[in-house]
Amino acid sequence: MCGIAGVMYRGNQAFDTGDALIRMLDGCQHRGPDSTGFALYAPEATGRLKLRFFIDPQNTTDRDSAIAAIRARLVDLGAKIEEEAEAGDNYRVTVHFDGDVQKLSYEMEHAAKVISIGTSLEIVKDIGSAHDVDDRYHVNQFRGTHGLGHVRLATESDVKPEASHPFWATGFADVAIVHNGQITNYWKMRRRLEQREFEFTTDNDSELIAVYLADKLAQGNTLQEALATSIDDLDGTFSFLVSTKDEIGYAKDRLAAKPMIMYEDDDLVAIASEEVSLNRLFPGKALNTREPAPGTYATWSRSI
Amino acid sequence: MVALDLAQLSVREANAQLRKLGEAGEDVEILNPDARHHIGVGLTAPIRVTVKGSAGYFCAGLTDQAHFTVTHNVGWGVGDNMYSGSVVVGGNAGAIPGVAIRGAEIVIKGNMGSRAGQVMKAGTLCCVGNANFMAGYMMYGGRILILGDSGERVGEDMSGGEIFIAGNVQDLGSDAMLTDIASEEVDSIREFLDRYEIAAPKSFSKVVNAGKKLRYGTPERPMRSIPFNSFSGLSSYWNPKIQEDIAVKSQSGRYRIRGYGGARPLPHLSDIGFRKDLSGAGAERNVIEKVRMATEIGGINGARPLKLSMPVMIAPMSYGALSRSTKYAIALGSAMSGIAENTGEGGMSDAQRDAAGQLIFQCLGGRLGWNIHDMRRADALEIYISQGAKPGLGGQLMAKKVTPELAKIRGIPAGIDLRSPSRHPDILGADDLVIKVEEFREATGYQLPVSVKLGAGRIRDDIKIASKDGFDFVELDGMQGSTGAGSAEVIDNVGIPTLPAIIEALEALEEIGARDKIQLVLMGGLRDGVDAVKALCLGADAVAFGTSVIVAGGCISCMQCHVGQCVTGIATQDPEHEKRYKPEVEANNIHRFLESVRWQIAALTDGLGYDDVRKLSRDDLVALTPEAADITGLPYEPRDQASYGREAGARS
Repeated sequence: MCGIAGVMYRGNQAFDTGDALIRMLDGCQHRGPDSTGFALYAPEATGRLKLRFFIDPQNTTDRDSAIAAIRARLVDLGAKIEEEAEAGDNYRVTVHFDGDVQKLSYEMEHAAKVISIGTSLEIVKDIGSAHDVDDRYHVNQFRGTHGLGHVRLATESDVKPEASHPFWATGFADVAIVHNGQITNYWKMRRRLEQREFEFTTDNDSELIAVYLADKLAQGNTLQEALATSIDDLDGTFSFLVSTKDEIGYAKDRLAAKPMIMYEDDDLVAIASEEVSLNRLFPGKALNTREPAPGTYATWSRSI
Repeated sequence: MVALDLAQLSVREANAQLRKLGEAGEDVEILNPDARHHIGVGLTAPIRVTVKGSAGYFCAGLTDQAHFTVTHNVGWGVGDNMYSGSVVVGGNAGAIPGVAIRGAEIVIKGNMGSRAGQVMKAGTLCCVGNANFMAGYMMYGGRILILGDSGERVGEDMSGGEIFIAGNVQDLGSDAMLTDIASEEVDSIREFLDRYEIAAPKSFSKVVNAGKKLRYGTPERPMRSIPFNSFSGLSSYWNPKIQEDIAVKSQSGRYRIRGYGGARPLPHLSDIGFRKDLSGAGAERNVIEKVRMATEIGGINGARPLKLSMPVMIAPMSYGALSRSTKYAIALGSAMSGIAENTGEGGMSDAQRDAAGQLIFQCLGGRLGWNIHDMRRADALEIYISQGAKPGLGGQLMAKKVTPELAKIRGIPAGIDLRSPSRHPDILGADDLVIKVEEFREATGYQLPVSVKLGAGRIRDDIKIASKDGFDFVELDGMQGSTGAGSAEVIDNVGIPTLPAIIEALEALEEIGARDKIQLVLMGGLRDGVDAVKALCLGADAVAFGTSVIVAGGCISCMQCHVGQCVTGIATQDPEHEKRYKPEVEANNIHRFLESVRWQIAALTDGLGYDDVRKLSRDDLVALTPEAADITGLPYEPRDQASYGREAGARS
């Protein structure tokens, strides 16, 4: 149960996507006061992967040993560490890596709590409001091309950073999702994907959507095609946003049970649960917005 | 003309000023609205309000007489429950525009979102552009004009009213049909469109209810009189209840409908007892003076609390299931004992309001009888999510009870088998719910407690949501709760019994450290003060009685509440039957029963060694059965029941 937001600026320069998403999420924080998260995309650096991990904030000794273990495991798997930093409760590392990203992802999942892996994606998420998370992780300083955001009211799972959104498509670099709703054929869909040896790190239905879409993309489908089949394959109520390193898209269930509203102009496309979030980008201006119809999807690409 | 700038004022401040300006008859302009929610909510004065920009959810919601213009878009639920007045929206409207309106005129110049006019009762909703999925869903009356295309499943499960479509009728909903349009109707539409300066299209299609689902094919036949002991199905294998069940189904060919409580034996409060020997409890004459019982409910977030003379209130029961006289008698009886009454579904009557000392006004998915004026004269507001006897299902009121008078107060067609919606139009998740709660608070100036009625189902999750969404208290209802009419299969087989329900609820609140953020009122088959004290020991802040109050007031427990011909005049709308009910006499009976509850609570609390009901604790209890020990985690200490309050001890 939540509020979602997404923004993509046209062109290839870097914009204040962090600040834009903070404002949009602050506008719909009432939909989810428990935790807030951001999926932020910056132009990629070839051959480099950005990884973020949760580290236990309570225990400094454990913290150091946890980071040491992550480092060792990365080196074991053939990644060359180029840059590293601690931010809030995260350990962030940039590596040079030429191997199989899915294999690296699963191995790292087994060794630590991965938040995101991507050439351009970084996910920041924690308990508290958009401003709380910004205070801890300085999201407002983030400049990039596009991003997603999410505020969460935990209903069926715990209020923990790792249960927060956005969800990274475990195993697939650069695919992230924010979702409002409930997938009712979750276990059926998950079993199907697990039979094909995909791994899940939570019982959250949003992670399923991310993996489902990333799998379709990996099979050579376009994001449009993947979203089209998702509306047939996923059962329940949902409005979700997905992003890859070049694209952003939405899908909405046929029952129209979860809100979504979008605004588009020459500079950007912005989508959110409520218009009040869109208006945070344009204070004092009445916007010509559009509500996507039930059972529809659309995508935008950075090159437009 | 006064301007209120939302770049400077919060919506709450602006709405407070708006109400004052309304009293002064001053028109208002709202600047920089930026799609904020709840603009204009609760305004009941005939002023003009112009919103310069876009408004968010529930713009002009719960209003009467005011005229709103929004220059751009609106979010979900524009004009929610509006009585009279108008809203003109220059741009698009989100989902459920005109939800539950009772007479207003709402005009959307652009397109409108899904489920437009859901459960509307009267008035006109007009959309110049296209409608979306399920326009007119479950509407009871009034008219919807769609000048563009209808969207999918137009008129889904509408039971009254008309939908006129100028564009393409894409797809008809369940139990909707096309019909001929009369020339007076066209004239009336033209007059309406002229008034709002909208060009009239050449022709319209008209969609109405097809009448295939308004009544059950065969009425539920009265059952033979079976004593409750046999009815509980314990007496033998092919017992009279099973035989009756088969006989009734052999005629109707569907699930059975009946009233009253669950008959199946389930783990209950009678399976736990008191640790101490209470056989001497109540020996002292003045225990009622000695024990502090006065309890405030609903004030923990700053609202004006209900002030109960003891931790007891009346469970929500509807005018509809029960006769007007019965609701009146309960209101009188509850006031005599200084506790709160609850309207249940189906609205508030003047007599009930005047008789009740404190009255909780309940809001259900059909919004039957729900309105701003009665909200204002209530002492607390309650959002019904579900009911212990039939969690997840809406109420049933068979045609016999849907009299013209009752239909009028609910705003529905008379003589239908009313199956109330099981969901709220505007609460499809915890995220929508928080906006709904805020709307109620705005409409009543943040003065009234807002509670949620939860039938025990997914309690662990639901109670956490209730606390996060800022409710002041929750009325938690277990499976032993009764109903005026429900599927017999559901009553006996679906739900979570009251005892595990409260245990789960308290554990869940402890898990998130929120026990002090919400108060808990337990109900669901509580029979007397002994049950009440056990519930308080387990951790409830108060309890509510439904069936026992009805029984105190003359019910003979024949389990035929659904039929509508109640011989005692309680569960009926037939004046001939209702005549037999003597409200003043029954009010005294109810009062005396409630006083016996008071005495029991005092005597047991005193017997346990306390001078205040708030000192009762889990440590005062033991489990009398292994099952109850497993459910509650209390020590299993079977003992002489008679001395420990299971059946005989401490009953006055």
